[in-house]
Amino acid sequence: MGRIRQKGKAGAARAYITRTAAVKKLQCSLADFRRLCILKGIFPREPKNKKKANKGSSAPTSFYYTKDIAYLAHEPVLKKLREHKAFAKKLSRALGRGEWSSAKSLEENKPVYRLDHIIKERYPTFVDALRDIDDALCMIYLFASLPSGQRLPSELVENCARLSAEWQLYIMHSQSLRKAFLSIKGVYYQAEVMDQTITWLVPYQFTQNIPSDVDVRVMLTFLELYQTLLGFVFFKLYTDVGLVYPPPLDVKKYEAAAGVGAFSLQEASHPSSALVHKTVEIDGRKISGKDVRQTIKAITASSDIDMDSVSNLQTSVPEENQDEDFVLQPSTKSTEPDTSLPTLKTLESLPEPISTTLFAPYTFLLSRETSRSIFEFLVRSFGGKVGWPASSGGGSPIDENDPSITHVIIDRPPHSYKSESAEEKERRLRRKYVQPQWVVDCINAGKILLEEHYAQGQTLPPHISPFGEYEGAYDPAAGPLGAQAELEESDSEAESGEEADEKDDVDTGDHRLKKTLKDAVGDPSALRTAELAAEAAGMDYDAFEKEVGKLGKKTKREQVKVDNAEEDMNKMMMSNRQRKLYEKMKHSQQKKETERNILEAKKRALIKQKRKETKGSS
Amino acid sequence: MAASDPQKHSKKRKQVEDEPDTHIHQNAVQLEMLTDDEDGAEISSDDGEADEFPEIDTGSDSEEDFDAEDNEDEDEDEEDDSDGLDSDASLHVFPKAKTVTSDITGKPKRVYPEIEPDYDSDSSTEDAPNRVGNVPMHWYDDLPHIGYDINGKKVLRPARGDELDKFLATVEDPNAWISAFDKNLQMDKPLTNEELDIIRRLYQNENPDASYDPYEPMVEWFTGKGKEEIMPLSAAPEPKRRWISSKWEKQKIMKIVRAIRQGRIVPNKPKSTNKLEFYAIWSDQSSTPHEPPPPAPKPHLPTNSESYNPPEEYLPTDEERKEWEEKDPEDRERDYLPQKYSSLRLVPAYNNFIKERFSRQLDLYLAPRVQRVKLNIDPKSLIPKLPSPSTLKPFPNYKSLTFSHTKGRARCVSISPDGAWAASGDEGGTVSIWEVNVGREVKRWQFKGKIGAVEWCPRTDVCYIVVGIEEEIHFLIPPNLPDSVYLLTKSLLAPATLPPSPATPSPVKWETVSSDTRSIDLPILSVHLPPSSGTPTQITWHRRGDYVASVSTGGSQSAVWMHQISRRHSQAPFKKVKGSVQAVLFHPTKPHFFVATQQYIRIYNLAEQHLLKTLTPGIKWISSMDVHPSGDHLIVGGYDRKLCWFDLELSDKPYKSLRYHTRAIRSVHFHPTYPLLASSSDDGSIQIFHARVYNDLLTDPLIVPLKILRGHHVQDGLGVLQVRWCNRQPWLLSGGADGNVAVWCT
Repeated sequence: MGRIRQKGKAGAARAYITRTAAVKKLQCSLADFRRLCILKGIFPREPKNKKKANKGSSAPTSFYYTKDIAYLAHEPVLKKLREHKAFAKKLSRALGRGEWSSAKSLEENKPVYRLDHIIKERYPTFVDALRDIDDALCMIYLFASLPSGQRLPSELVENCARLSAEWQLYIMHSQSLRKAFLSIKGVYYQAEVMDQTITWLVPYQFTQNIPSDVDVRVMLTFLELYQTLLGFVFFKLYTDVGLVYPPPLDVKKYEAAAGVGAFSLQEASHPSSALVHKTVEIDGRKISGKDVRQTIKAITASSDIDMDSVSNLQTSVPEENQDEDFVLQPSTKSTEPDTSLPTLKTLESLPEPISTTLFAPYTFLLSRETSRSIFEFLVRSFGGKVGWPASSGGGSPIDENDPSITHVIIDRPPHSYKSESAEEKERRLRRKYVQPQWVVDCINAGKILLEEHYAQGQTLPPHISPFGEYEGAYDPAAGPLGAQAELEESDSEAESGEEADEKDDVDTGDHRLKKTLKDAVGDPSALRTAELAAEAAGMDYDAFEKEVGKLGKKTKREQVKVDNAEEDMNKMMMSNRQRKLYEKMKHSQQKKETERNILEAKKRALIKQKRKETKGSS
Repeated sequence: MAASDPQKHSKKRKQVEDEPDTHIHQNAVQLEMLTDDEDGAEISSDDGEADEFPEIDTGSDSEEDFDAEDNEDEDEDEEDDSDGLDSDASLHVFPKAKTVTSDITGKPKRVYPEIEPDYDSDSSTEDAPNRVGNVPMHWYDDLPHIGYDINGKKVLRPARGDELDKFLATVEDPNAWISAFDKNLQMDKPLTNEELDIIRRLYQNENPDASYDPYEPMVEWFTGKGKEEIMPLSAAPEPKRRWISSKWEKQKIMKIVRAIRQGRIVPNKPKSTNKLEFYAIWSDQSSTPHEPPPPAPKPHLPTNSESYNPPEEYLPTDEERKEWEEKDPEDRERDYLPQKYSSLRLVPAYNNFIKERFSRQLDLYLAPRVQRVKLNIDPKSLIPKLPSPSTLKPFPNYKSLTFSHTKGRARCVSISPDGAWAASGDEGGTVSIWEVNVGREVKRWQFKGKIGAVEWCPRTDVCYIVVGIEEEIHFLIPPNLPDSVYLLTKSLLAPATLPPSPATPSPVKWETVSSDTRSIDLPILSVHLPPSSGTPTQITWHRRGDYVASVSTGGSQSAVWMHQISRRHSQAPFKKVKGSVQAVLFHPTKPHFFVATQQYIRIYNLAEQHLLKTLTPGIKWISSMDVHPSGDHLIVGGYDRKLCWFDLELSDKPYKSLRYHTRAIRSVHFHPTYPLLASSSDDGSIQIFHARVYNDLLTDPLIVPLKILRGHHVQDGLGVLQVRWCNRQPWLLSGGADGNVAVWCT
């Protein structure tokens, strides 16, 4: 006889632990436990059998892996949390006694936990971390837009704003933005960094208020983790492309609301770059890879030379510089000789896909009612130059009256241009005025769309999600609806005609012919003979074709019916499990289909209404 | 002392040649010298002051207690300077001495005051008549006295009035409010002034002792002028540590000094900054101690309906909007309503932004994550691929004719072995024989009571039908038989010489109609089952046609009877059957007998008379069963809509269990020659299956649904009550509750 197995000593009873038990085991408060779980990424598990895991009770509880909890017990952060508890007691005691100096020294030495080891544990490789920054980005963008107050220290908001600016800088620098979507919730951006698709949502620039039913502590704990995570991720991203992290902040510009322009990207000047860096001296002049690249570009682009690039070399150089250096304002750093740029990197960046330099030939002016943070980011990510009036913040690289401006992004109703000077009019005619959606639609389409549809005051074409929907979903862009509707109409007509035909057939002689035709449909050789017979009977070819088509449709329908009946019968032979699965799948399919049908029906109704309106008006 | 100093000094010089140390030492010495000088001066002045002591002493002594209390404050003022010295007077047991100049010697002498013989005791104790002391007074509770006075006389208990007296006393006596019960005298006594004063002080949170002075000036006993000790307390030489600084302390100090010089100790520790310095955390490929948790699923990407400017068809109609608003937030399919704005500047802030982020975070840390495999398959691929029914022809396809019973439900149907004739019985007691091909009725018998079962004898050399009516089984010979067959049948059913009756008499009686009253309208042979055994609802033949088994339901007696035609004998095969028997069957090849009770099917070996197997189909109530002509497969239909297929070679659990009828299954039947199977149900439909059984043991039987035959009406919840196959054609007969018997042809 084997050893007697006691109940609850092995298996699920041991592998799982309830939350209460976990808190008790860790000897910390529930709030601390929650904080730890958030930081360490430990989440409840669903045991296969709840009763077995919970000593026979089926009360609703959340379970954790016992190993996870055992692992938490050795967490340095937990130790720090305990220390913090002691510190809080000491501090309150000192404050209660009015011992200000000791309180001050306590406050100065208060225990602070670090999260870098947790980052390393949770994300063993950089790609792991990168894959998981979606939520982190959403959070820091949200908190960067929140008003600081009692619960939100201003440093926190500032740090979030800084991190978000760093991320934008990196995306613009690496030109890795792929898609954007203006939704009612905010702006969705999708970038591809190191083959990872990262999507984040940025709220529109309005003041958000934290609702009362939201636990700010939880959000702040998440934010703590996310800030650390993003710091390390950005460090790696910046250093990988040879930039200094954190990018230095120009306080003056920052105070002038220059936004991302306040940060300047600095090349990390490490000694090894001198080895990589190749310079050739020709005619006593140093020629770098940069120059080579420029000439190559000039040659390849000679066919479509832009006005700007031809105008003078001086203007084209900073435009080219944009790839490496995003300091748009001519600063002392940008005047440094080009030779300091590592050649290998510039060569690497040569075969960029065209879509990332979509706006390279254009210069944009943001009108003051458009959101600068959104469109500056979008345009610059796709290689365009952008300027804005002083009312939208300082640091605009181009003047409002700059002749190089090709597009004006404007979002206000048109007005009459009566009192404008000739110069203004000339400028207005030279520029293209587009609504903001044009920029996003161009990015999503991967090409420059016609500006006419997006002109100022025009009714915009619908803005469609670039992320796509599930397979077989209703596609608003595809226009089969009209055709389909027509088809249906003709169908019904044909059917009624058929009935009439059949009535006729009773007295006319070609009833027999039709019958043979019916048999012949589907078999090509028989069809041939039927055709001949029809010809002999004096039927013209068009009528014959029509007949064949009709019959074909009919037989097809019948065939479908028969198939369905067979399938229904075959369903009898499915096992119970398979049938349930089948029903479930069918149900979801049905749901999708009804959704699509509803949308299509709506669309059809809209088309009909529109037609009626046009008819009525004409 | 002064002489020893230089010696020590020189010793110190020899030991350490550290200048600061010697300085400290010298200072210490000078300090000592200074105090010495002062001591001398103090002593001389001290003597002069001593004269004043007695005067003050007498003053304080002569004063009365009450006065002292009254003038307390004044006294304190007066005595301020001398209080420190004379406050100890109370501590002295003896009175203070006066120093006077003696008349005789001319020298000062001490004179003590005369001792008075009276007790310097409390007046209150003096006049207390009760002298028992501080004893518990309840000792005297039962006695008339309360103690003894100083003379040993009893002190009688004072009269104590009742409550009214007490109350009057409080009213009359002006001192009542300041009097309290004296335990010793057992009566109320007014409080003395001192006691009242104590009470007042206690009320005011003061020290109850009136004479207590919290701000007494400090008494300088050993320090101050004139109190210095000239001589040291101990004669031990002064230890070295008094003037030489410690070597270890110096080392410790030097350690700190060095640390400060090297910058290891800074005056103010830099404030701990919570700013984390970022570094290349992923530069080393160290493995983590355990697997990180699986990454959280990414949220869904936005669809067209979330656009600020969606195509118009995405906008909700009024009903949809209303429905969305009425739903609970948890039940909504999406958390927003699509909206359309004509331009971007009109788009407002999204109210639920923070809420959504928060709920996402709750999901991240509170929701259990389960990895589910998403099946990305076409649901049609789940449907088993079966051969098309069109390739499995022939099978009955349409209703070729209907034979109607007018008197009731067509309960039972049977087909002659040659397949040309059909017999059907209804609940009105009619049994009809008609042609299968054209439906022409040839003969009709009318009985009293319901027809439970009709079965044609499987033998081809004789021809008769067996009809089960209430508690009787009749044998009928159809008309128009060839002479040879008729004679043989007659001789079988009504032999000239009856076989010898069996040794054990049976409760079942066999009765043959006598030859003179014999007619075609009457049964030639009747078997009377024991009374109250119920209607035989099933009659089943052994394949040889000699034995017939009947199952009666609704009776109280044992239901199964086995009748042997040749010996005209009936017997009950089971003494006792567990459960009520629903159906019985003979095995087509072996001497096996199937008995279906409500939930189990038992297979008995009739030759060896023991139970072979018990099958558990998992049906709540079995309605019918049939065995495949090969004898290896059994199908069972149940009232709970299930059809079970058993492979008898394999398990006692069903090989396949099908549920496709919407109502109870009434009857199942295998075709004797074609691979066909039919089941009928109360939903009025008949399901035809292709049921091919392979000789090869490894190949599973092939079951293909072929056709659903509909044509019977459902009446009173009953549909098709029995189905029977034609023996040679793939035709089917079905008797329905609507009184029709239908023939289904290919």
